[in-house]
Amino acid sequence: MEKRQVRNNIRTLRFHNGEMTQEQLAEKAGVTRQTIIAIEGGKYAPSLELAFKIALAFDVPIGEVFSYEVEGK
Amino acid sequence: MSNRKISISVSLVSTLLILGYYLVRLIPMFQQSDLNSGEVFRLAGIVIIASIALNIVGNILTMIVINIIHAIQTQSEKEVRMIEDERDKLIGLKGAQVSYIAFSLGVLIAMLTFVFGQPALVMFSLIIFFSLLAEIIGDLSQFYFDSRGS
Repeated sequence: MEKRQVRNNIRTLRFHNGEMTQEQLAEKAGVTRQTIIAIEGGKYAPSLELAFKIALAFDVPIGEVFSYEVEGK
Repeated sequence: MSNRKISISVSLVSTLLILGYYLVRLIPMFQQSDLNSGEVFRLAGIVIIASIALNIVGNILTMIVINIIHAIQTQSEKEVRMIEDERDKLIGLKGAQVSYIAFSLGVLIAMLTFVFGQPALVMFSLIIFFSLLAEIIGDLSQFYFDSRGS
């Protein structure tokens, strides 16, 4: 089975939302800035609930924020 | 440095201090082969109480200092958000797991000394030593997990 990993577009979405800061996103999602940094850098895959909260912060469907792609693509 | 890392550092430093104190008091007893139960149990009691007290006081002082620094930097009276999110909980759990494994190995080593003919007091002293060492290893592993992401 091919190896997959969670990818995200948080940086792009922050940019399109008036350069929203990581701190502002963290406050909206109810987590620390360090967690947003870890998610954005692909070091941490959030829980489904947190993924929904982040999508809600940008007011977009969850699929626009996160994707499950084949590693190395 | 994140608030979480500061908090772990405080715990690490306080445990290192207690471990240092414990070893400074215990090693001369071993060298003079002067292990008496009263002294060893008293030392263990001091170490356990100091460990709890230092961690509580350390955490309170850290919170106060972080809030003061935050207030100076932002020039506002708004408190620092000290929330523990899912990643923090995961890192805490992983740290606790590493600490538990380290302590289990330590207890095993301590029991082996008893099996190989050392007095029970040696085993007891080693269990206290490994409990402190396990806490240090747990804190260090939390540092590692925090910088790795989770």
